[in-house]
Amino acid sequence: MVKDWRFWFVIPTVLALGTVVAFPTGFLLWMSTAHWVVTEPGVYFNGAQNFQTLFASSAFLSATGVTLAYLTLSTAIMVVLAFAFALALAGPHSSGLLRALMITPLVIPPVVVGFTWRFLLNGEIGFIGAYLLPAIGIEANLLAEPLGALFSIVIADVWSRTPFMFLIFLAALQSIPRDYYEAIRLDGAKRFHEFFLITLPMMKGAISVAILFRVIDALNTFELIYVMTKGGPGRSTQTYSLLGWKTAFQGFDFGAAAALGVVMIVVTTIVALAVFRRFMRGV
Amino acid sequence: MARKLGRTLSDDLGRWTLITLALIFVLLPIVWLAIASVKTRNAALAIPPEFIFTPDFSAYARIMSGGFLGAFQNSLIIALSNVVLTLVLGVPAAFALTRMHGKVQENLSFWLLSIRMAPLFAVILPLYVLFKSIGLLDTPIAVSLAHLTLTLPLAIWMLVTYFRSIPVDLDHAARLDGANAMQILWLVIIPIARPMLASVAIIVFIFSWNEFLLAFILTSRNAQTVPVAVASLAGTMSFDWPLIAAVSVASMLPALIFVGFAQRHIVSGLGSGAVK
Repeated sequence: MVKDWRFWFVIPTVLALGTVVAFPTGFLLWMSTAHWVVTEPGVYFNGAQNFQTLFASSAFLSATGVTLAYLTLSTAIMVVLAFAFALALAGPHSSGLLRALMITPLVIPPVVVGFTWRFLLNGEIGFIGAYLLPAIGIEANLLAEPLGALFSIVIADVWSRTPFMFLIFLAALQSIPRDYYEAIRLDGAKRFHEFFLITLPMMKGAISVAILFRVIDALNTFELIYVMTKGGPGRSTQTYSLLGWKTAFQGFDFGAAAALGVVMIVVTTIVALAVFRRFMRGV
Repeated sequence: MARKLGRTLSDDLGRWTLITLALIFVLLPIVWLAIASVKTRNAALAIPPEFIFTPDFSAYARIMSGGFLGAFQNSLIIALSNVVLTLVLGVPAAFALTRMHGKVQENLSFWLLSIRMAPLFAVILPLYVLFKSIGLLDTPIAVSLAHLTLTLPLAIWMLVTYFRSIPVDLDHAARLDGANAMQILWLVIIPIARPMLASVAIIVFIFSWNEFLLAFILTSRNAQTVPVAVASLAGTMSFDWPLIAAVSVASMLPALIFVGFAQRHIVSGLGSGAVK
């Protein structure tokens, strides 16, 4: 094995990722069982105490609700929009310029996305929040209200992340052989037949992969919320990652934050396994 | 014939309405941000908004005087060194992965995929403790290394898809001519893969340039990156909206320039990598 060149080609990567990912993950597992409050002296083994405290806390409960609501709402909107845009731009005549414009949000730093939408939606000075919305009769300071703030974050996130899903769907749509459509058209199929009998079934794999990435991405969403609302008002936009950051770097409880990190790993694994089982056998 | 024509017409109408709405949705925030960056402080806050105004570039001058050049320098160092690290580690690994079979290859691929899916928050706390204990907190090296968690699996994944499409016969031919693995990679594979390598480099650069959470946790003053600077500006109570807008616009430039040049590669790279 040591004589094999492939070993030497792979080993630097394995070592690098071992140092920055595998080792930290193992360390996290250990941290989650430790009493480790930075402002208090002493770090000691604490068993499952961190998890018990976490599951019993109202902050964790509300973060679970917020994370679920944000995840479901944003993913649903994204799938529909990305699919529609991909269908509209998959044709042979659509230009590269249009596609480039559509994917621009993808390369804009999420921090900037968050700031821009906060600026746009602001109830006193924002172009949308203080000008367009009042013009159509909606007088609400979105970012200052619990539901409005959550919805604002979903809008900003949809703006920022739909292009990635759009790219996945576009690639998948373009790989469906044209003959399938021609064949079914000869049999007198209508547009919605084509969609439900060919397009949708052929896209199943791409949709599930896109949703999987989306779930992981949404669990990681931090800066957008940090810049727009810092988790507020109250706890109305405080997701797992916001709660984890607050626990670790404002409450200085590394043990509890690590326990939350373990919960996030478990959730991600469950989602990933479900998607793999359901859709990706043999891929 | 008439029915068919009618169908395409209504199809096109629906399609172009959708595309127009999508473009407005996508472009409005960017355009509005760019406009705000060339307004005076009062004009940027005026409601109803002033659509006709004399551009004022003083916000961009305030980037220089406000000490944000350091953040741009840090971001550049971090992103560039991350690109180099990612390619130096990732290219040989991806090539070796495509020339392997069986259990080892399967397990390695699965391991890489699972790293790509690991929640970032899970590695941040341990990395913070690790870098703190070896005195690397608040240095560009720490951030650049930490970014490998995101960029290396992504790059390998995209490269594997591409290297698979290069026929193994080329390797065999070169091997018959007496080339070793390093020479095959350097003299045969890399020249063929140059356009793909360029797009991987660009995507990795953008990921590293835009990344916030790791840079935010691992730096405090000296190694602050542009996204962290934007966030701290947006967190101050006295809002200088044009200044934040100007820094934001400047922070988007590298990525936008790259996308302009490499749009095709990004579309095919990210898209196909995800499906296959």
